[in-house]
Amino acid sequence: MKVTIHLWDLPHRLFHWLLAASVAAAYATAKVGGEWIDWHGRLGVFILGLLVFRIVWGFIGSTHSRFVTFFPTFSRVKAYVKGQWEGIGHNPLGALSVIGLLLTLGVQVGTGLFANDDIAFQGPLFNFVDKDDSDKLTGWHNSSINVLLGLIALHLVAIVYYRVAKKTNLVKPMLTGKKEIPRVLAEAISAHEATRAGVIRFALSLIISSTVAWGAAGGIAQLPQLTKITNPCCSVSWATAETSQPNQATPAASPQQTAQAPASF
Amino acid sequence: MKKKLTLAVLIAASATAAVAGPIEEQIRWRQSAYSFAAWNISKIKSQVVDHPETYNKDSVAAAANAIAAVANSGLGALYGEGTDHGIGWKETRLKPEFFQKKEEVTKVANTFNEASNELAKVAATGDIAAIKTQFGKVGESCKACHDLIRIKDQ
Repeated sequence: MKVTIHLWDLPHRLFHWLLAASVAAAYATAKVGGEWIDWHGRLGVFILGLLVFRIVWGFIGSTHSRFVTFFPTFSRVKAYVKGQWEGIGHNPLGALSVIGLLLTLGVQVGTGLFANDDIAFQGPLFNFVDKDDSDKLTGWHNSSINVLLGLIALHLVAIVYYRVAKKTNLVKPMLTGKKEIPRVLAEAISAHEATRAGVIRFALSLIISSTVAWGAAGGIAQLPQLTKITNPCCSVSWATAETSQPNQATPAASPQQTAQAPASF
Repeated sequence: MKKKLTLAVLIAASATAAVAGPIEEQIRWRQSAYSFAAWNISKIKSQVVDHPETYNKDSVAAAANAIAAVANSGLGALYGEGTDHGIGWKETRLKPEFFQKKEEVTKVANTFNEASNELAKVAATGDIAAIKTQFGKVGESCKACHDLIRIKDQ
């Protein structure tokens, strides 16, 4: 006898699929490069927003989204390995994988904000660090992607393993939010039945995560007390300021001239 | 303090480089060439992609011509035998495989040349959307070469 319970709330599911899609897109845009590298940067900021949302949701979301519900404590992992763990939602090994993925994505996004590609891309917070430090963080960004790919592979293999060996479909609950479980188990854990988090908590999480993403996307550099930290030497703004003003005053320069020589130096 | 130290190291390094042999000279020249190109790339990026409201046709055209000039300057001459090791302005990041991958290298180098020459042409027209697209292609050609023969940050 089975009953259907509410497992993953809607924000949790939206987070999951948006994260999967944007990580895939971020990977692809990094591989292609060229014009797409700017999208890689935007996706990174979006992923940062998603991660912050997930962390906030881990404290104020509904039951099975909360870290306290599934945090892989030593005793929980031990019980799981012995086959004594009983519950729904993330099992202790799955929880380890969740936390590993969140941490690695955090490293990936955190380093990416300061990274540069030595071509035409700089992370939104590049100006807060020296070029050498940016290069170092870029190196970490390049290395930790391999850890992330490994964890994603493990995640996918686990899904297939559960489907084939344990006859458990993990994908469907992540789509519908609902899961069928034995009535006995449902009765045993009835106290843990998911509580709804509500719109207000969702709005709060959204506000916090979009504020952080906005700050990381460069908003933080606009705060007056921080502007002195940004690098004023940048050749870009200098060059633009230097060349654009005189030319705006004399728009009559002929195309032949402009193709030959810089109009002002 | 840290800055002074860095400065001292830089001066010492460049002094060493100045008296170093032809390998170091080749490395230093090519590093300079790419740095100069990077400055011009940053100008186009700023005026065409990041802040199109600051777009200035002459400045972008000049930058594109400078990049094309670097691409057409015969950079291949700076990749002599043994230049996969050595310090120019800093340690070279040329992979030793460079010398085994001559065909692929020629291909990516040609792509860079063609993309840069095309960018210079497009920049002269002032069509900002076309410049942006072609600028992306130049970036792709940079990446193709970096992926092939440049040691990545790790």
